[in-house]
Amino acid sequence: MNSDKMAHDYKKLGFMCGLEIHQRLATKEKLFCSCSASLSEDRKTLSIMRRQRAVAGELGQIDRSTAFESRKGRHFTYNLFKSSSCLVDSDEEPPHALNQEALEAAIIISESLNARIPDEIEVMRKGVVDGSDPGAFQRTMLIGFNGYIELSGKKVPVPSIFLEEESSGIVSSNPDSVEYNLDRFAIPLIEIDTDPVIESPSHAKEVAMRIGLLLRLTGMAQRGIGSIRQDVNVSIKSGARVEIKGFQDLDIMDTIIENEVTRQVSLVKARDTLRSRGAKAGKATDVTHLFKSTTAKILSAQLADGGVVIGIRLHGFKGVVGMEIAPGMRLGTEISDYAKMAGVRGIIHSDEDMNTYGITEKELLQLSKALELGDEDAFVLVAEKSDKAERAAQLAIERADKAVEGVPSETRAVDQKRLCTRFMRPVPGGSRMYPETDVLPVLAGHLVKKAQSKKVDIDAARKALHEQIGNTQLAEQMLWSRELPLYRAVISETKASPAVAASVLLEKFRELSRAGVRIERIPPDTIIEIFSLYSKGRITKAGIGEILSEEPKDGAAVEIIIEEKKLQRISGKKLQELISSFDKTDKPSLMREIMLKHKYNVEGDELSRLIK
Amino acid sequence: MYSREVEKVLNGKKIAIGDKVRLEKGKEVLEGILMPRPDSGDQSILVIKLDNGYNIGVDFNSVSSVERMGTTAQEFTFPKAKLQRNKALNTVKLLYTGGTIGSKVDYATGGVYMLTKPEELLYDVPELAGIANLDVEYLMSVASEDMTYTEWQLIARKAAEAFASGVSGVMITHGTDTMHFTSAALSFMLQGLPGPVVLVGAQRSPDRGSSDAFMNLICAAHIAASSGIAEVGTCMHASSSDDYCAFIRGTKVRKLHTSARDAFKPVNNAPLAKVSVDGSMHHLGTFNKADPKKKVVLKDGYEPKVALLYMYPNSDPSLIGHYISKGYKGLIIGATGLGHMPISTSHKEYNWLNGVKDAVAAGMVVGITSQCLFGRVSGTVYRYGRMLTEAGAIYCEDMMPEVAYVKLGWLLGNYSKKEAEKLLAVDMVGEITRRTEAEWHDEQ
Repeated sequence: MNSDKMAHDYKKLGFMCGLEIHQRLATKEKLFCSCSASLSEDRKTLSIMRRQRAVAGELGQIDRSTAFESRKGRHFTYNLFKSSSCLVDSDEEPPHALNQEALEAAIIISESLNARIPDEIEVMRKGVVDGSDPGAFQRTMLIGFNGYIELSGKKVPVPSIFLEEESSGIVSSNPDSVEYNLDRFAIPLIEIDTDPVIESPSHAKEVAMRIGLLLRLTGMAQRGIGSIRQDVNVSIKSGARVEIKGFQDLDIMDTIIENEVTRQVSLVKARDTLRSRGAKAGKATDVTHLFKSTTAKILSAQLADGGVVIGIRLHGFKGVVGMEIAPGMRLGTEISDYAKMAGVRGIIHSDEDMNTYGITEKELLQLSKALELGDEDAFVLVAEKSDKAERAAQLAIERADKAVEGVPSETRAVDQKRLCTRFMRPVPGGSRMYPETDVLPVLAGHLVKKAQSKKVDIDAARKALHEQIGNTQLAEQMLWSRELPLYRAVISETKASPAVAASVLLEKFRELSRAGVRIERIPPDTIIEIFSLYSKGRITKAGIGEILSEEPKDGAAVEIIIEEKKLQRISGKKLQELISSFDKTDKPSLMREIMLKHKYNVEGDELSRLIK
Repeated sequence: MYSREVEKVLNGKKIAIGDKVRLEKGKEVLEGILMPRPDSGDQSILVIKLDNGYNIGVDFNSVSSVERMGTTAQEFTFPKAKLQRNKALNTVKLLYTGGTIGSKVDYATGGVYMLTKPEELLYDVPELAGIANLDVEYLMSVASEDMTYTEWQLIARKAAEAFASGVSGVMITHGTDTMHFTSAALSFMLQGLPGPVVLVGAQRSPDRGSSDAFMNLICAAHIAASSGIAEVGTCMHASSSDDYCAFIRGTKVRKLHTSARDAFKPVNNAPLAKVSVDGSMHHLGTFNKADPKKKVVLKDGYEPKVALLYMYPNSDPSLIGHYISKGYKGLIIGATGLGHMPISTSHKEYNWLNGVKDAVAAGMVVGITSQCLFGRVSGTVYRYGRMLTEAGAIYCEDMMPEVAYVKLGWLLGNYSKKEAEKLLAVDMVGEITRRTEAEWHDEQ
């Protein structure tokens, strides 16, 4: 785990890191209703519009992040779908009983993570006001506690495992509204949390991979893009806890964590500079009059549209606003990300080149006078309609003042392009959990007993695959592959050999994907059907790939492809006749000739056997 | 409630609900706050709230020790909502009666409790202060299924008093289950209204950010303050979306869904108005116009000895004998179709014609409505209808069964039996439409 070149001395920095892994379960139905949880293509039937607001919370205060979202005054559009959303999803009907299939899977996963299971499971409501939950709370329950996962002989504690409702899929978002699809909403989701004992970014990646593997091995993990997501909590001693949301690609996890540490280290440096200068953000000042005849397009366009220009003096911030804190990220970016929450496109700050905006020396001079800028001072400009601009200015001031305190505690999103994190919202407080009174608690005892035989052991699974597939490399690939559940289904439901199944699902899939075939569009049942035809001798191994390349939707489509592409296998007596119809006699050229003409119809080994 | 055995141990250790406790269970040590046990389920499961906010259930019998670690009392008191008076705004009386709109989950225990201070509701909906000067009065905390005519009378008197004191309108927060009964009762009890009486409720309690209570209250306040309509009605979501509410006449509204936000629909009539959160209104159909000079005519008498019976195959008319023996004075029948009852079934004892005759002979007023809800009954289309009419039953036009039921109780409480018979099928406050417009359904 220490193979990477470390950008930081993580131990010295007091690096703390824990993971939250979210995995959708492959259940038939959703967590609290009978809607389909399979996320197959579905027809949109209805859209509804809702508003949500912050209400006095469990401990009496309106939760910080809740209030923050509410302040944004957004409305939410929810799209409902024919087979995957119902009135329970749109918060128009009370939840039905807890999905037993999901509960059983969650208990098996908890047992596999060596966790304790409560005697009785209590469903809770967790407040959510970003709109991703039409009811403004997520139903969630603690299924396992005090568990651990072992990695290189060391235990990483897993203090809690939750079963909860998946959030809605976001379609689009703008400052005034967010659109969500409810097809994904309330699919059973497992959340696995580790203690913050992870030692380095690469260690984080390894732990995430190990847990992901364990989840896949249970056979209860849903496949497909977004079906597993990692959130990472990162802090350094002089920094603050930052929750990074939405890792989907484990390959970049370590780099992003590394860059987040760089950001926190830089912000601490910036803080020290700011403190030594006695830095402080000033108040918002309307400076519209200075730009009445400006040629700076970014300002004049807003003014023409009835907007205003607001300036803020950042006392002692000169040079710090433009300082790079992570790849492509400046403190200015952070201030801008806060301001954007008010619906502005961005801000202008004094550490940027004013020429690019077309702001003149004269204008700068007047601005400097109006804001009473000193030598060490920076400024921020916001141009928008007055109410938005004022809100944006307040948010910018808030962020600038936080820079003097150091690293703010925030929820941040993964920026796939820059491989760093971007501000999303403040870290939610802990005061937003209360019992779900619409659902009865569930006694877990009998399910815990039932789960014992289904517990997953990674080492045993690895051994079994090696024995089945024979080829060590292919077996190890299969162990880690997201196609493992499909592989298991293929070899249990058809007579196809494990070696052929593994080779198609790993090698052929990869080859086809590279050629642009959208394998993920072929339903698993169809793939199993193809293997079944293969094992019955109707098609050849080479024929499997040919069929897959056409992305068949179902068994009927498969039959049509076999017919049209003439993929029927020729074997036995018919193959004998075929051999006789060629006049060549020497084995190599006869083989070559037949395979050239009938490569999808003839299995090479059978042909070789029959040509004497 | 925990079992007696558990309570005994807890009491012995002086452990109360809400205390921080430490449990030992095998090798495991669990710490958290002891929560109350819901009424259902195994009463020997201790519910513990862990530090992460989650509750878990711990089997008391598997625990080797329970210790009290301290208290965690964190009661929240709502800041007093300042109700500032704005001279530019009309004054609206808000009568608080309970129901989901007036209930919240106790975040600590998960139990649902009734808000007793209306300002707790206003705390969550500060917009109301910009719509009207609200004069809030707590009347009761009653779930709507527990409402009786006594509560209807109290509400009617309070509303009449409010108008006498010069308010522009009255808002009544009410549970939804029987809101359409109360709205019908108030429609009859409060006549000659100078302004609107708006019943408002919620299908989702206001402890959730997604509650419909907020928009319903805002829209109801707009109606009460400035709609220009002088009728009793309900103001609830018109659709599943949070965009506008429908203000529906109190005698033409029914709860038609168990749980959806737009459960209240107009039946046999268009809504009086649609109203948006921003206060914009779209008036539909005809209505009594507001006029501050008008004086409320309070007719709050009520005869509770009236019954509502539902017709169904195999229903037994001997039930009527029960009502006769109990001295009932009126009976509304939710008949089938156009207003039919079993008369000539293969089972002679299921002949309701005889039952109706008995009721009439015993001095009861018998009204016939349809369980179809939509449409008008007719005593002349089929032979059975004519037979029932001849037996003395009164066909109640396009009144819904519940409305006819409330009306008959009200008639018998304020008028003679003879007058009641005469007035039952005559429109008094908009409960009967003489014409059923064809397009009203599309107006919803």
